[in-house]
Amino acid sequence: MARLRPGDLWRMALRASLLQATWNYERQQGVGWAFGLQPALKRLYPDRAERCDRLAEHTAYFNTQPTLASLALGAVAALEEQRAAGGGPDAAGMARVKSALGSSLAALGDRMFWFTLRPFAACLGILLAPAGLARGALALWLCYNAFHQGVRFAGLGWGYREGPAVLDERLRGRLDRLIRLFGMGGAMLIGVLVATLLVPGGEPRPIVFQATLAAGLGLGFVAAQRPRPSPTQWALGVGALCVAAAWLH
Amino acid sequence: MNLPLFATLLLAGIAALDATPVAQTLLSQPLVSAALLGALWGDVRVALEVGVVLQILAASTSPVGARTPEDYASGGVIGIGLALALATRAPFAMYRDSCAILGVLTGLVAATGGVPLLKWQRRRNEGLSRWCEGELRAGNEGALAASHRAAAALAFAVGVGYAALWLGLGVVLLSRLATAESLHLSRAWALAQPLWIGLGLAQLLHAFVQRRLARAALFGIAMIGAWLALMIGTP
Repeated sequence: MARLRPGDLWRMALRASLLQATWNYERQQGVGWAFGLQPALKRLYPDRAERCDRLAEHTAYFNTQPTLASLALGAVAALEEQRAAGGGPDAAGMARVKSALGSSLAALGDRMFWFTLRPFAACLGILLAPAGLARGALALWLCYNAFHQGVRFAGLGWGYREGPAVLDERLRGRLDRLIRLFGMGGAMLIGVLVATLLVPGGEPRPIVFQATLAAGLGLGFVAAQRPRPSPTQWALGVGALCVAAAWLH
Repeated sequence: MNLPLFATLLLAGIAALDATPVAQTLLSQPLVSAALLGALWGDVRVALEVGVVLQILAASTSPVGARTPEDYASGGVIGIGLALALATRAPFAMYRDSCAILGVLTGLVAATGGVPLLKWQRRRNEGLSRWCEGELRAGNEGALAASHRAAAALAFAVGVGYAALWLGLGVVLLSRLATAESLHLSRAWALAQPLWIGLGLAQLLHAFVQRRLARAALFGIAMIGAWLALMIGTP
């Protein structure tokens, strides 16, 4: 019975970075998923025709949060190993596992990476940027990638070892704790950021700046209550109003 | 072609790749683009001012599920690149402020305008994925790598082309405006900059707090603590 080697998992983790390269409305990450799984299937199915059939199956619809996709890739690689040995789920069963893992990981990953870690890293970068733009940019990049790349590479091994049970209560609990921690840290970072904007280096900014910043915060809270208009549309409207006001003044 | 402009276009292509198709390392975030472009054009101040505003607004925009968010990868490079390209023409503070507001506004419009372009790329990829499946069924295993190469090349080319269009048009159309109307534009910048920062920070705070009183209290404590530390000084 053919078994996957650490080198295969490593190649899959590298390819997981390209999961979204061919993202489209019809199959979303389907082709990227098959590309990520290709090194495992190469090891498990020596017969080219059979391997191509399996790969074609895997190009079907799949979508999840791209960082946590590694866990699903590892878990499905473990199932493919069983399938190549004559056990494991059939094509329909595999599709069900992918669908279940994809939606659960997306729910968790969107909260962790898009709603929490990315804004947290951005706040950290912005806070450090006035002391050195390169330092701020590096802080943003390192803070995000320490988790993003760490989970992407380690996640494949977790998924392979645990199989579809990878998303158990223990992992959920850990990620939930991290989300809470980053949420609290992010709220504190914004507090420090607002203070440094009001009194940079201990020198209070002009009252007009402070009042306008407060007005912006108030407007932002109102805007955040509704998904539409988007923050960018609000910002464009505010910019146009400021230009018009400067001309009329 | 001058080197900073060429490097800006190259960065636009790399940012377009990083945003979705390859790795998603946040190399495409406006603050990172600002650091690279500021060093490239030799003007860190304008890069910082434009980069911070665009970064705060970009951070409150999320690529969740199948939603196509505003394209801040291109918008960031275009806005910061344009502000820097215009700011090299004169050293006056008022003129540089006018370049900053033009840069942010152009960056926002370019980020919004990038959405249909991203959707177009995604529709093109539908054909690519169908072709890939057909080739696999016919026994051509190399189709997977080929389709990835094609999609990445398309994303890079669209990123470079889109930035070239905006930067070319922006420098030609806006340099006279920045010079002739620098007084009005610098006044508009003084008003818009804190408003934009406040607007973006409130969105981020809303996302972090999520109606939890303890987190709101942490925000307040951190703000007052930092304010006191800055005003009185740490022991």
